[in-house]
Amino acid sequence: MEYILKNGIVYDPANNVAGEKKDVMFKDGKIVDNVSSDAKILDVTDKIVMPAGVDPHAHVAGPKLVTGRIYRPEDSRKGVTAKKGVCRSESGFSIPSCPATGYRYSRMGYGTVTEAAVPPLEAKHTHEEIMAIPNVDVTPLPLFGNNWFVLQYVKEGQIEEIAAFISSWLKIVKGYGIKIVNPCGSEAWGWGMNVHGIDDPAPYWDVTGREMVRALSQANEMLGLPHSIHVHPNDLGHPGNFPTTVGTMDCVKDVEKNSSVRNQTIHITHAQFHSYGGTSWRDAESGAGEVADYVNKNKHVTCDVGQVTLDETTTMTADAPMEYDLSRLNGLKWANKDIELETAAGLVPFIYSGKAPVSSLQWAIGLELFLKIEDPWQVCLTTDHPNAGPFIRYPRIISWLMSNQRRQEMMDNREVHPWSHKRTSLATLDREYDFNEIAIITRAAAAKIYGYQDRGELTPGYNADIAVYDLNPNDIDPSKEPAAIEQAFGNAMYTIKDGQILVKDGEVVQIKPSQTIWTNVQGYEEQEKMIMEKVMPTFNTYYTVKFENYKVHDHYLPNPIEVKVQASK
Amino acid sequence: MLNLKTITLTLKKKSQIALEFDELIPDNIYNWEKSDFEEYQVPVGNSRFPLTDYFDIDVEGTAESPEEVKMILDGDMGRVKYIGSKMGAGEIIVNGDADLHCGAEMIGGKITVNGDAESYAGREMKGGELTIMGNTREFCGCSYIGDWRGMSGGKITIQGNAGKQLGECLSGGEIYVKGDCDILAGIHMTKGFIQIDGNVTRWPGGQMKNGNILINGRLGTLLEGFVQDGVVTDPDIDGKAFSGKYIKYTGDIALNGKGGLYLNAEKNRDLL
Repeated sequence: MEYILKNGIVYDPANNVAGEKKDVMFKDGKIVDNVSSDAKILDVTDKIVMPAGVDPHAHVAGPKLVTGRIYRPEDSRKGVTAKKGVCRSESGFSIPSCPATGYRYSRMGYGTVTEAAVPPLEAKHTHEEIMAIPNVDVTPLPLFGNNWFVLQYVKEGQIEEIAAFISSWLKIVKGYGIKIVNPCGSEAWGWGMNVHGIDDPAPYWDVTGREMVRALSQANEMLGLPHSIHVHPNDLGHPGNFPTTVGTMDCVKDVEKNSSVRNQTIHITHAQFHSYGGTSWRDAESGAGEVADYVNKNKHVTCDVGQVTLDETTTMTADAPMEYDLSRLNGLKWANKDIELETAAGLVPFIYSGKAPVSSLQWAIGLELFLKIEDPWQVCLTTDHPNAGPFIRYPRIISWLMSNQRRQEMMDNREVHPWSHKRTSLATLDREYDFNEIAIITRAAAAKIYGYQDRGELTPGYNADIAVYDLNPNDIDPSKEPAAIEQAFGNAMYTIKDGQILVKDGEVVQIKPSQTIWTNVQGYEEQEKMIMEKVMPTFNTYYTVKFENYKVHDHYLPNPIEVKVQASK
Repeated sequence: MLNLKTITLTLKKKSQIALEFDELIPDNIYNWEKSDFEEYQVPVGNSRFPLTDYFDIDVEGTAESPEEVKMILDGDMGRVKYIGSKMGAGEIIVNGDADLHCGAEMIGGKITVNGDAESYAGREMKGGELTIMGNTREFCGCSYIGDWRGMSGGKITIQGNAGKQLGECLSGGEIYVKGDCDILAGIHMTKGFIQIDGNVTRWPGGQMKNGNILINGRLGTLLEGFVQDGVVTDPDIDGKAFSGKYIKYTGDIALNGKGGLYLNAEKNRDLL
């Protein structure tokens, strides 16, 4: 089937197209240069056309989500809709049901999302859930930052072994890249402890976060994986944590990049939670300036923000000790899980209120990061869904970024607490994003950071993943009309995925099975065989499952997208 | 209460699966004619059936707003759920028993149940008045499952007995029980007032942080988290005057709570 999207105003940052009136053509699911006269014409005259959105960091599939749904029935009763047309019924606000997750991403014009924390032991379940999410492709990132095998090889300084372990484990769990959460901290939590800075050792291992991050980064580059290490630094959410964040970014500065498909060697996730100054919540202030400054001066770093949306949500992370702290702080219910030998996890409901000083400070710090990081290719739009707010708020965040007037209004009329401007520099920042920059932070940059070679741009040969928004960029002043921006970005006029029209006029009109994107490292077979022989005795001694039951078999990925990477030294 | 329009639904057939009445509240139906009710399909399980399958319908008078509506439900409504759920104004009288969630999330108006009400009566009630002439069961005036925010306003009166976890997570409003009450009344409560005139099995105020519970009957077992402050005479609680002698406790100290628990001194001499 051939299509022409006619007369749209195209934003395709990867190809330096910024608001040009032109046609976008696709055929058999791929973008093409030419189509025949039989092509079906979709008239999108003067509407915004962009590649479909790419979410670089969210929690959408896996055991945490299920625990969240079980222990928060009060969340599941929000957002309930009856089945309609091709859609099944939906439920949930911060932890939507699997079908709702797919539909809601589709309605925003998104086509790809990363599930940013997969405990290898629970990978099977994660893939099962991905199967139940329609319409968006999912990139799972397995957790390695507290894994006993990695800890052991870091302790011994065996980078080669780590690379072989990663290469092998990505095959076993069908993962895409390396996720590190609070390195050594979640392991310490098994003993009721935590680590704070990057130089605190994990108990009984005598390995520090710095050593873990460096070693995993070296292994990542040794394999030449398409995505860099994806790091949730130590000390999340604690006042005075920005030096740890800067230190984490800096500790891999000398590691040489070994991949042509991305620019960075480290991706810092939900940087907002890691950009606090002060010593306690009494004197907390923004550290966004220092973090943004480091990002501006160093091209080996990218980040996403984790913008607080001022909603009631469910926090869930493999940073289990942080969740314990959070549950003590807000006194609400808490779920905790130990994943043997690999990691831990925690969940706590949280209410980010504009009336609360801390929530308002976090809200402002997130926006400060967006506005202070100069190169939009180094920053992505996320809410760390559902931790800082549900992903359905992305359109609202876009409206905040595009309208200084709206931000000032929120501070002036006390929609947010005065801490938002007294303890940050947000009130002095008048930068406003334009549509091209929005296209970068919501799709092009994320695709580049992940080294995707099939999406995130409207280049011929790429997947026909396209979003059309019902806005005429020459007609609207986003600064003055934030509500219209939020409405348009939340209800795509068209969402096209692999050439299929999934959303029309804000309604999901077609369902498509999601695909799982994973990395298959080639040319490392010998080392992998060797490492499996080394690992198995420990595995058999300490794991409560048999290895045969641990591996993710092919039928858990009915629609895989296998990214083959040639390992090189 | 001014009621210009009277809508009478008389039960003619009881369903085995509960009917759901949350759409049939004065706020939605104040301008409905008899023919509208005859066309209406009531949710039953995963389907809908004509209301006329179950009820004879009679509509008298007219109403300009929900306040002017009185709904009378005649017969055994023991299989009718969500009666008056989320209602904001008007009056509902149930001449029989009511099923689950009667008056749940009610905002205003008045409901009278001239029989027993099942569990979850007045769940998350925010305002208005709910009167149950008979007994009610578990979780009266409570929160939604999993939530930590319960009833926040309004008044529930139970002429009979109440079940377990009455006023769980209460954060406002008043609950009066004329009869006896089972375990854990006012568990997790943070504000509001509960008065129980009959006997209480055990553990009132478990993990309460604030608010007041007054018991005029005999208490079976008191929780360890309550500290006796002494005997007070004719106390004044939340602006309400009570006469007689009460043993006053503060708790639950397990949660550093500042809640008040008043026990009739005469009936609970053993605790003195």
